[in-house]
Amino acid sequence: MGVLIAHRLLQSVVVVLGVTLISFIALHAGGDPTYLFVSERATAEEIALVRQALGFDRPLPVQYLSFVADLARGDFGTSLSYRQPAIDIVLGAFPATIELAVFAFVIAIALAIPLGVVAALNRGTAVDGSITILGLLGQSIPNFWMGIMMILFFGLHLRWFPISGHVPFLLPLLNGDLATAFGNLPRTIYFLVMPGVAVATYSLARNTRLVRSSMLEVLGQDYVRTARAKGLAEHVVVVHHALRNAWLPVVTMIGLEFGFLLGGVVVTETVFSYPGIGRLLFNAINQRDIPLVQAGVILLAANFILLNTVVDLVYARLDPRVTLARRR
Amino acid sequence: MKLRYLVALAAGLAIVGVAAVMKMRPTGPRAASTIVVGLSADIATFEPANISSRDNMNIAHHIFASLFTLGADGTHVPNLARELAISDDGLAYTYTLREGLTCHDGEALTAEDVAYTFTRIANPANKFTGNAPGFVFSSIGFRRAEALDPGRVRITIARKNPIAFGLLTEISIHCKDSYEKMTLDQATTAPVGSGPYRLVSWTRGSEIVLEKTAASAAAYDRIVWRIIPEASTRAAELMAGNVDIIANVAPDQIAAINQSGVATVQSITSTRRMFVGFNQAEQFGQTPGGRAIRDPKVRRALQYAVDVPTICRQLLQVECQRATGLVNPVNANRALSPYPFEPATAERLLDEAGWPRVGGKMRFALTLQAGRGRYLNDVNVVQAIGQYLRDAGVDVTVELLEWASVFQPLLRTRTAGPLFFMGTGGGLWSPIYDMNDLARVESGTNYTNWSDARWFSRWDALTDAATPEDMRRLVDEMLQVFYDDGPWLHLYFQPDFYGVSSRVDWQARPDERVYAYDARPKG
Repeated sequence: MGVLIAHRLLQSVVVVLGVTLISFIALHAGGDPTYLFVSERATAEEIALVRQALGFDRPLPVQYLSFVADLARGDFGTSLSYRQPAIDIVLGAFPATIELAVFAFVIAIALAIPLGVVAALNRGTAVDGSITILGLLGQSIPNFWMGIMMILFFGLHLRWFPISGHVPFLLPLLNGDLATAFGNLPRTIYFLVMPGVAVATYSLARNTRLVRSSMLEVLGQDYVRTARAKGLAEHVVVVHHALRNAWLPVVTMIGLEFGFLLGGVVVTETVFSYPGIGRLLFNAINQRDIPLVQAGVILLAANFILLNTVVDLVYARLDPRVTLARRR
Repeated sequence: MKLRYLVALAAGLAIVGVAAVMKMRPTGPRAASTIVVGLSADIATFEPANISSRDNMNIAHHIFASLFTLGADGTHVPNLARELAISDDGLAYTYTLREGLTCHDGEALTAEDVAYTFTRIANPANKFTGNAPGFVFSSIGFRRAEALDPGRVRITIARKNPIAFGLLTEISIHCKDSYEKMTLDQATTAPVGSGPYRLVSWTRGSEIVLEKTAASAAAYDRIVWRIIPEASTRAAELMAGNVDIIANVAPDQIAAINQSGVATVQSITSTRRMFVGFNQAEQFGQTPGGRAIRDPKVRRALQYAVDVPTICRQLLQVECQRATGLVNPVNANRALSPYPFEPATAERLLDEAGWPRVGGKMRFALTLQAGRGRYLNDVNVVQAIGQYLRDAGVDVTVELLEWASVFQPLLRTRTAGPLFFMGTGGGLWSPIYDMNDLARVESGTNYTNWSDARWFSRWDALTDAATPEDMRRLVDEMLQVFYDDGPWLHLYFQPDFYGVSSRVDWQARPDERVYAYDARPKG
């Protein structure tokens, strides 16, 4: 396991450098970012002064190498918009996104497994058809539309849930303020319901279909027939023999999906005015706040690498045939 | 058996969940002493010298007061200062402060604090990039600020400037003792101001909470600014009673808000000038279209080709009068009438200008560029303008570009176009402020590269005008030139829509300033 982690650390350095280089080039491809930081009436001389103050007067390779050198010292730079350390701003927004991602993830997994299993066990019936149609709908409905419909119906019409906003749980928890964190928790969950469901819908639908197809494949295997022939109860056959083996592709998918949820909830965060990292990075990209984008990208890339490593470890645990050494 | 337990457990959890929801569900408006304002964009900083956006300035203006301020009608209203005396040569502005002013840190606010504010902003070592150093100070040619005594401060500028008094209202006064102790980083999040409210908390991307100071006469004890980027969410929060004022209401939501019974939409014509620029840069002169728009006759002909009132009515949901130039109507040349929509006149003038339809088809081709999503319903407005011009025989290709990364750099390098759609902020307090975008041929805001000597040669005389009458005469002459041969296809002043709860008495302003301290509870 130690070798795997060392290997992944090495990989992460390459990946982080790669993503920072790509985002750096992309952000500069649109032209000189200086114009976003000066008044629309600024003269050429004033623009030149601001360009110098922001460091954009240096050649691009020099700017990038300077960034990498600072990064090696743990300095992610200062946000051009907020004039504060970029990593502090990113880390400030990250807990809210983790809360949303975990909430959506739990919904997507907790419902997808029973729905997928039920659909597979009732293959070809009305139950299976209904779940499949719901799955298709869930994958087809854009989450921003879903979010707005939920706001209008559950937020405005029925007044069941708050329309927008966020009550922090993780941030006070990480700051050691346990009383505030746990005092907030019920309202944190309450505020998470609508954005969480909007984010989870697509994942839930996809995971349900994945579990169903995986279960269908496993249920046709000889060892399942043998288990039934031995006279085992049906729930034992399904849970202990079929589901455990159907689990492997699902684990791979959900591991990556959590990483996707952390970085890919920008639309939902915008619709629900949720102050997470997706919206922060979206605004930073629009503002061409390069240090802030770089800090966010590095954090998300590191998360993806971490999650991939966890998935590998879980995979090996679930399937004894797979050893970490062989996979390397 | 186990299954029955599981079902019972699930049912129990569902009941607890529903009960919890019912207990926590929103129950209506908050404390009557709090007003909640929904904004579309977050702020970036509380460092006054680094603020460059109107949204950011709107909130900062509650924390930091200015010497004088601008009323909604453009009048010059005393604020921290009660009096302003301008020297005969127009280079020294002496402000007399009101007595008994205090900073949020409890210290007395004196002329020394005001002088410190100006000096701090101008200090190049601070590398400030906001509107104050980047536009105001360079426009007025700021030289120095000095406290004459505790109650009087003198600002010295390099050259006489008829709009300096108005530009100085943009400067937010902060307090020397606190700012001398703070680092620049600390100043971005911990403002110590001189205005009617102080900062309580700022949750980035979520909300800003302000609390009234003891000296403030504002009606609400607290102001909560909520950042709600999505227009439909802002409207829903207003209609649910969770927010009292929202900015930037989308036209398609006006009817729903007005029918909600809990809020109404205020529509106001703003000071933002919307126009299509005719860019006369050399690079466009290589094409027939680029050559054509260098001819004032062609530009004048195209004024007749676009039906602006219909665009306002159909796409912006308001009735509007077409602009006659770059100055807000209150200061416009009264002798000028808006160009009417007369397609036949446009066609005739284009023929006379030497650009007939070739074989009954198009006369010349032009690209019309615009940023996407910056202005009210901009995509549809630009498409409509493109079609009107095509009807007149101009083969227009509309290019909708991402605002920040693509269109704005083109504007700033004065290479957008040759036709481009945009809006620029104006004011009611002086026609010269509106005209100042085109103060020099090389001005960064002369996006069209216009160089008509009849306009630019009058600027020195305008600056040195001895009397208001002389100044008015010069303004009218210049506006006549701009109307006849100017570089803009005149459109409209952008309407702004604000949603206002029926609990609140508040009036929207035309200058995009949202001041919640002007609001009062109804009844």
